[in-house]
Amino acid sequence: MFKAKRRTVVTVTAVAAVLLGGALAATLLTSGKNNANASGNTVQYQAGQRPLVPNLTGKSLTGTSISLSSYRGKVVVLNFWGSWCSPCRDEASLFAGLSQQYAPKGVVFLGDDVGDTPANALAFTSSQGITYPSFNDPGYAVVAQISQVVPVHDTPTTVVIDKTGHVVGTIIGAANYSELTTLLREAAVTQ
Amino acid sequence: MTDVHAPQSQPESAAAEDDAARSFALDQTGTAEGGSGRTSPPPAANAGWLRWGWRQLTSMRTALVLLFLLALGSIPGSVLPQQGNDAGAVQQYYASHPSLAPFLNHLGLFNVFAAPWFAAIYLLLFASLVGCVVPRTFRLVGAARTPPPRAPRNLVRLPHSATYNSALSPDAAVAGAAAILGGQRFRLRRSASDAKDHWVSAEKGYLRELGNLLFHLSLLGVLLSIAAGGLFGYKADKLLVEGQSFSDTVSALDEFHPGRLVSGDDLAPFSVTLNKFTANYLDTGESRGQPSNFDADVSYTSSPGAKPGTYHIRINDPLSVDSLKVYLIGHGYAPEFKVIGADGKVAYEEATPFIPANTGTFESDGVVKAADASLGFMGVFEPTMFSANGTLTSIFPAADAPAVSLIGYYGNLGMNNGIPQSVYQLDTSGMTKLSGSPHLLTPGQTWKLPNGKGSITFVGVKQWTSLAITYDPGQVPALVCGILALAGLLLSFFVRRRRVFVRAVPAASGTGSVVTIGGLTRSDASGGFEEEFAELAAEIASAEPGNKSEPGA
Repeated sequence: MFKAKRRTVVTVTAVAAVLLGGALAATLLTSGKNNANASGNTVQYQAGQRPLVPNLTGKSLTGTSISLSSYRGKVVVLNFWGSWCSPCRDEASLFAGLSQQYAPKGVVFLGDDVGDTPANALAFTSSQGITYPSFNDPGYAVVAQISQVVPVHDTPTTVVIDKTGHVVGTIIGAANYSELTTLLREAAVTQ
Repeated sequence: MTDVHAPQSQPESAAAEDDAARSFALDQTGTAEGGSGRTSPPPAANAGWLRWGWRQLTSMRTALVLLFLLALGSIPGSVLPQQGNDAGAVQQYYASHPSLAPFLNHLGLFNVFAAPWFAAIYLLLFASLVGCVVPRTFRLVGAARTPPPRAPRNLVRLPHSATYNSALSPDAAVAGAAAILGGQRFRLRRSASDAKDHWVSAEKGYLRELGNLLFHLSLLGVLLSIAAGGLFGYKADKLLVEGQSFSDTVSALDEFHPGRLVSGDDLAPFSVTLNKFTANYLDTGESRGQPSNFDADVSYTSSPGAKPGTYHIRINDPLSVDSLKVYLIGHGYAPEFKVIGADGKVAYEEATPFIPANTGTFESDGVVKAADASLGFMGVFEPTMFSANGTLTSIFPAADAPAVSLIGYYGNLGMNNGIPQSVYQLDTSGMTKLSGSPHLLTPGQTWKLPNGKGSITFVGVKQWTSLAITYDPGQVPALVCGILALAGLLLSFFVRRRRVFVRAVPAASGTGSVVTIGGLTRSDASGGFEEEFAELAAEIASAEPGNKSEPGA
């Protein structure tokens, strides 16, 4: 009698454990990391918990070498874009203007042109008045490099990197003035 | 002298059989509680209702009904287009069945495997199986520890029996029989050596229950594997033109369908470059134009900076990298264009994928968007151009005589308003046509656009492939569990649980003994126990000096 009861209890417990365990695992695995605050399409990393960006390397649209480490000591705005992408074209004038405005403050702008050809990209930067360099990244190799530490799942995405090479925050989708300047302020304050 | 009796059906044998069949109940494929899907009315008390519900859920009948429902529920997933696999086909279905489609969508039939009702069946089946298997495991362990039952008093009443006279004492005769049964890997239980009653019980066929358990556990494994695939796997598509490469990141993929617990950060960091794509077609006979071979020559790396490898992806011969597979699922042509704007600068230079409108001739449609020169073109590509009565068409899928027919537009392409556009569609609402009729170009030819708007050159033709990237961690475990389930089923079908009893009593003459052998099997669907018993009885009898096996009816 006692054994039969014990078996029933174990069986019911096993079924409940399977169902509850599945639900718990789903909840735990889907809960986000707690070192970042998301607001709208901006993700901001708390000081001290900012991921270190690997040294991104590649060729520019004109064939010269680019290495992110050469920008160490400056705040870097890294924008992932493509001439085929409407939201990228929408935000281009903002980036062209801010890159000029923030240059004296030690902020450099850098692009990563994805899924594109240099000819199309140069026609775009020329028409938009963008003068800062961009990686020529038709195969998303630079995206793969940075994705090891910070997700770049959409085009456009903008990553603001502080002077020590750590990610201050990202803007997913087309950036606006407020979002970008907030991250730049944060990069300057907590550098 | 040995008499072997055929199975009996006398009513009086029932008592003996019941005794000998004790714990054969384990054989019954029943419920968690030892019943077999009993449908007796539930007791009135609440606990009784719960117990009744639990028994119903864990009964074999319910499990079978749920399995059947699971199979039935999967049918719409095969018959109707599914959101996860082909969202375009779902839209097409909406267009062609405007009244039916919303109803089907309401029932979740365009996303069957994520529908709540499908999950309910799945979880109930899972609970039913766990509720069935766990008690069975206890009972198997219990049965493994339990020795065979005592030998019934009257072995002649068992379905199979045999009797012979022995010159040995009852104890020695039983010992001899036990040695033979033990040699045949029967589990034995003997009477005490000093007892008046001399008998041995033997049992064999525990593999049957093990097979049964293996089947149930494997079925659970199959369900878990499928669940693991759905939770941790992902599917993605990527269109790649010859010479292009891509890294496995969400933004590089054209389509990305992650499992429930997969995020973009979980993608394997491999990259693939399409070096060359080759498609061969039959060029003679009735099947002219039918494809005979596809071959995508690719280079790949498993992670950034890793040593590159090469592979030829063919139909049903995917590239395996980082535990995932890259399949070749489609191909087409990508005419290369160079567009010069009104300012004389290059505004567009790219091999542009065109989508086949006719998969027999590979006549394909596409658009060219030179937004920075305010130029756009709609094109039709003909791999093997043929003009009949002023109508342009393609007569063969290979690019033997390629040509492209273009309609040019000038104006605002609508690409600067921030709203994402399809790269395969041109929004001409803010544009004006450059010419009244389409302009035909062959490779190397240039169309100088009217009014000094620039030019477009048809540089050449490349091909593209559509690659499907799949990661399904449950695939191999599901296969292994499926094989194990089959093995378990075969074991439970073909292995018999059978018991043999031997009892010896002193002979009436005062010397020697009379030995009776009885046999019983609960499940003999595949037959053969009668012969096995006869052989066993003969062997036991003939092992004794002076006795010969005499099987009889």
